[in-house]
Amino acid sequence: MSEFRFRSELWTAQYTGVKANTLGSFLKALKELDDDTIYYHLYRNMFEYHFFPTDYWNSFSYWFAENGFPVLAEKFSAIDLIGCVCLADIREEMVRILEREGYSFDKLCKPFYFIRTVRKVVDLGITARNLSEFREGLRRVGIHSLFYHLITSRLVHCSPMNDFSRWLAEIGEEKKAEEINSIDLFSTSLYRVKEEILKILES
Amino acid sequence: MLEEYARFTDSGTLRELELIARKLRGVKVLHVNSTKVGGGVAEILHRLVPLMNELGIECHWEVIRGDENFFRVTKKIHNLLHMPDKVSLSYEDILTYMRYTYENLSRVDTDPYDIVFIHDPQPLGLIVKKRPGQRWVWRCHIDVSSPDEETWRFVETFVNGYDAAIFHIPEFVKDGVRVPTFIIPPSIDPLHDKNRELERDFVVSTLERLGIDPGKPIVLQVSRFDRLKDPFGVIEAYRIVKRRMDCQLVLAGSFASDDPEGEEVYREVLKAKGEDPDIHVLNLPPDSHLEINALQRAAAVVVQKSIREGFGLVVSEGMWKGKPVVGSNIGGIRRQIIHGITGYLVNSTEGTAFRVKQLLADGDLRRRLGENARERVRHSFLIIRHLKDYLIVLLTLLEGREKPVDLLHAP
Repeated sequence: MSEFRFRSELWTAQYTGVKANTLGSFLKALKELDDDTIYYHLYRNMFEYHFFPTDYWNSFSYWFAENGFPVLAEKFSAIDLIGCVCLADIREEMVRILEREGYSFDKLCKPFYFIRTVRKVVDLGITARNLSEFREGLRRVGIHSLFYHLITSRLVHCSPMNDFSRWLAEIGEEKKAEEINSIDLFSTSLYRVKEEILKILES
Repeated sequence: MLEEYARFTDSGTLRELELIARKLRGVKVLHVNSTKVGGGVAEILHRLVPLMNELGIECHWEVIRGDENFFRVTKKIHNLLHMPDKVSLSYEDILTYMRYTYENLSRVDTDPYDIVFIHDPQPLGLIVKKRPGQRWVWRCHIDVSSPDEETWRFVETFVNGYDAAIFHIPEFVKDGVRVPTFIIPPSIDPLHDKNRELERDFVVSTLERLGIDPGKPIVLQVSRFDRLKDPFGVIEAYRIVKRRMDCQLVLAGSFASDDPEGEEVYREVLKAKGEDPDIHVLNLPPDSHLEINALQRAAAVVVQKSIREGFGLVVSEGMWKGKPVVGSNIGGIRRQIIHGITGYLVNSTEGTAFRVKQLLADGDLRRRLGENARERVRHSFLIIRHLKDYLIVLLTLLEGREKPVDLLHAP
């Protein structure tokens, strides 16, 4: 039986030097900047605010709202970030939304600063060979680890399933795998997500 | 010491830091700034340096030296980087800066270190000492986005000689910075006298000692006496609130004996206070950490109505004490307050008064926003997060390091 290794991820932010002050320059940057930048604004942002009922779930939406594009703010916030398998798909979807409507691409806005994530993955030295060890391991790890296994790793591997679910399916726990994979990470805090997963594992 | 922070962090965080730090064993790090006492930079280094050592990274801290003349010039550079003034940097100023930089080159031994962090503009010129294989980082604690252009041109040559720079927020980065730039907000230390838990009795006795009524709601702004902190706007907002609600305003701060403008602003604030017994203007000694802590804990609402702000960590200090903060919608304050969730961002005196009234009228709202505020700081603005960011920067810079060139034995 395969072993599950709990990992975690620590990150910091790096300024790309790119700022947009019109929808046109925003769209150009969106098309050109690397995945780590898209990841920062869509996902890392979520981690910063995951325990608060904020208006939007990503920094792009806040910028749109602040600059008089409330529809774009909502549309970007409604993108299914968990359903999307890899960042290229999400990028395409965002570009489609921007190009679909007849927005004013020259209207001067407050600058948007594009930031990229600098990530470092660490092996926590905690392993599991069965469900009970997995449960114990999960109890010991923090929310950075949850974020890595549920979000980052899935995106890196372009997988429709998060790490936990993939491993659980491998050991024959398909139902638990499916339940964990369908948790809406954007509607609750990662502390609650951890509790929810533990409950599923105990059921 | 690290374990003392365990109660403020998520369960896995300290372990993760230890694991990341293992990859940095044997690495030697030096921090250089211009003072061991006073100011946010020294405060952070006092804690950050021992924490890095505890994690097994050999970390030292050196301070450059200079006389009054040198620090007059560096203060001028600091101000001009912040915003243009009538007079730019003079030829004599540049000579003074370079002369003392040269003297400090022999005083500060940077050679044994793998990574050198230079804090702020005062020691910036030490970069000429960089040897092959080393990584030098400029940690800028000020907003240089719209500086006096001549001063920036002087500084830019040094800045772009570094391997990386660190700014608090991207808005503070000048377009001419061409080195990799990390965005790392500053942090507060929950174990510092300014922030540690206090007994209720101590809080009450501090209020009484300062002549403040512990039974009447307090609206508080903590800041040095400086026009850019808009103490007059705060008094105006308080007067609007006071028409409908009984409360008292506390303006607590200090001014250095060598800051004539601070004293002048203090006198003007006293004049603006007039005969109102519910306005308390407190000029406290700079080391009044426990008093400030007590005032923040006693406040019903904390205000930070700055016109311009470095980062405004005093906002996080208030939030850490579970207080909703009404702050100006600018720079670092915007970064700390989540509007409507941890406090309110405001754009005018009237807006400040409106939000203060709203909060004074609703204890549940204050409690809810205050709880969120504390959680926000716990997650994003404590020194442990700051330490984590530094470790990632260290790893990133060292991973990209080419082998040092051995000039002595080069073919």
